[in-house]
Amino acid sequence: MVKREEIVHAANLIRIDLEDHAKYIEQIEKILNYFDILDEASGESEVIVQEASLEKLRDDKHIPYDEELIKQLKNYKGTFVKAPKMI
Amino acid sequence: MNLGITATQYLEQVKNGSFTAEEFMAKTMERIRKVEGSIHAYISLNDDAISQAKQIDKKLKAKEKVGSCLGMPISIKDNICTKGMKTTCASKMLENFVAPYDATVVFNLKSQDAIITGKTNLDEFAMGISTEFSYFGPSRNPWNIDYVPGGSSGGSAVSVSALECIASLGSDTGGSVRNPASFCSVVGLKPTYGLVSRYGLISYANSIEQVGPIARTVEDTAFILNIISGIDSHDNTTIDKGKVDYTKELDAGVKGKRIGIISEMTGIGVDKQVASATSKAISKLQSLGAECSEVSLDSVKYSVATYYTIAATEAGSNLARYDNIRYGFDFDVEGFEFNAYISKARKNFGPEVTRRMILGAFVPSAGYVGKYFYKALKVRSKIKYEIEEAFKKFDLLISPTVPILPFKIGEKIDDPLSLYLLDINTIVANLSGIPAISIPYEISHGLPIGIQLFADLAKEQTLLQAAYALEKTTNLPGAPI
Repeated sequence: MVKREEIVHAANLIRIDLEDHAKYIEQIEKILNYFDILDEASGESEVIVQEASLEKLRDDKHIPYDEELIKQLKNYKGTFVKAPKMI
Repeated sequence: MNLGITATQYLEQVKNGSFTAEEFMAKTMERIRKVEGSIHAYISLNDDAISQAKQIDKKLKAKEKVGSCLGMPISIKDNICTKGMKTTCASKMLENFVAPYDATVVFNLKSQDAIITGKTNLDEFAMGISTEFSYFGPSRNPWNIDYVPGGSSGGSAVSVSALECIASLGSDTGGSVRNPASFCSVVGLKPTYGLVSRYGLISYANSIEQVGPIARTVEDTAFILNIISGIDSHDNTTIDKGKVDYTKELDAGVKGKRIGIISEMTGIGVDKQVASATSKAISKLQSLGAECSEVSLDSVKYSVATYYTIAATEAGSNLARYDNIRYGFDFDVEGFEFNAYISKARKNFGPEVTRRMILGAFVPSAGYVGKYFYKALKVRSKIKYEIEEAFKKFDLLISPTVPILPFKIGEKIDDPLSLYLLDINTIVANLSGIPAISIPYEISHGLPIGIQLFADLAKEQTLLQAAYALEKTTNLPGAPI
């Protein structure tokens, strides 16, 4: 059984403030309880990892970024981005 | 002029001069203006569509080379990048995002002189099956506007069904092309994983999603697939199938084809009318010479939990990029500490995206990764194995596309789990990578029912041939709007 504090902790980790979202905690709890059905599934099978062929990689050529992409930034000067304080 | 024609008929009639590309586009835009108020298929429109069609007519008149679409009006789901046009993902977070490049699928369509009518509505970031989770408000089902059109590519299916374009591109992560195709009585295809490039499709769950066509007929679907499929250096997961013409030999029929009826998708939980339509479809296929028998895929019962665990985990990672520094809207960083700033920005995600981000943080977290995420990966492998085994005995598999009929707007919006469970018939194709198609089969009390066929990996040709055969047994009316 999942504890509510653990859901709130996960939300905090991805910086989602649950203050206004008590309803979500209840819904997520219900969904996670449903996910417990996975406990019944046999766990013998191996995980098949999707493999991409290394032969198909594109040429190792430098492709300069487009100025159009920089223009998507909200706060920038030249190639500097303005971001909130880390500490 | 009849806007309800197929892509094939459009091409014939432009070629023989019945109408010009400009006339058809102008009429399409007029139609959009007329019906949008009731159905809301589009988030934004291409204001240059008519002048672009004019250019096609000029080239045709001057006998210059023109691409195979001849100015055909095609709508694009608003999570697929279109250069110079807004691409919002139906989210407040990307409300003003103008894509700086075309997705490969859009580039391919434009290269063949298709004209984009506009960007269609979806559940925010393609998370949902009713289009009710769009920041811009729900789309409505053209068969009855009190009902949902399905989702997440709801706007795309509505635009095709309500004659606001000839065909559309959607994206299918757990059924998001097939579900609205079924609810709106149009054809929707989820191609084999890797057959179509995902470059420029805004990421939600990379290991399962594919772009797919929505159209009025199976032939039109094959026509669009010809244009959008193929290897792409921008997407290393694309597979090289060489040049295949999916419109060829569509009438090959199903004689001698072995079709497996998936027990777990046709029994308990399926609406009576949907079950009856499915039985009728199976009988029709049998009368055309197919050999149909039951097949059990044991792991289907775990597929919803498996799918949502994997999709939420990938979504949590993909949506972490929305920090309001690279994308987002204007509020200054001054006075904010990093975490507070980002969490303020993320308040702008809608309810379903918020739920899936939290789930996506939870299921792969240190204490729970074994119980949920690793277990889901193992079950996914098991599902793939069961599908491989099934295709040793069968050429195709069949089920209803959605276990129930379209439901009323607002009916299930506060019960996310009940919505998730409706994906049970579609997600197996995403988890295993196989192609699947929804074909309109019946109208029951004014609401559409779609039948789903699956084929083995990269067997689109077999799939489309069977879908074509089934389609030919129907004679359905157009949407009443």
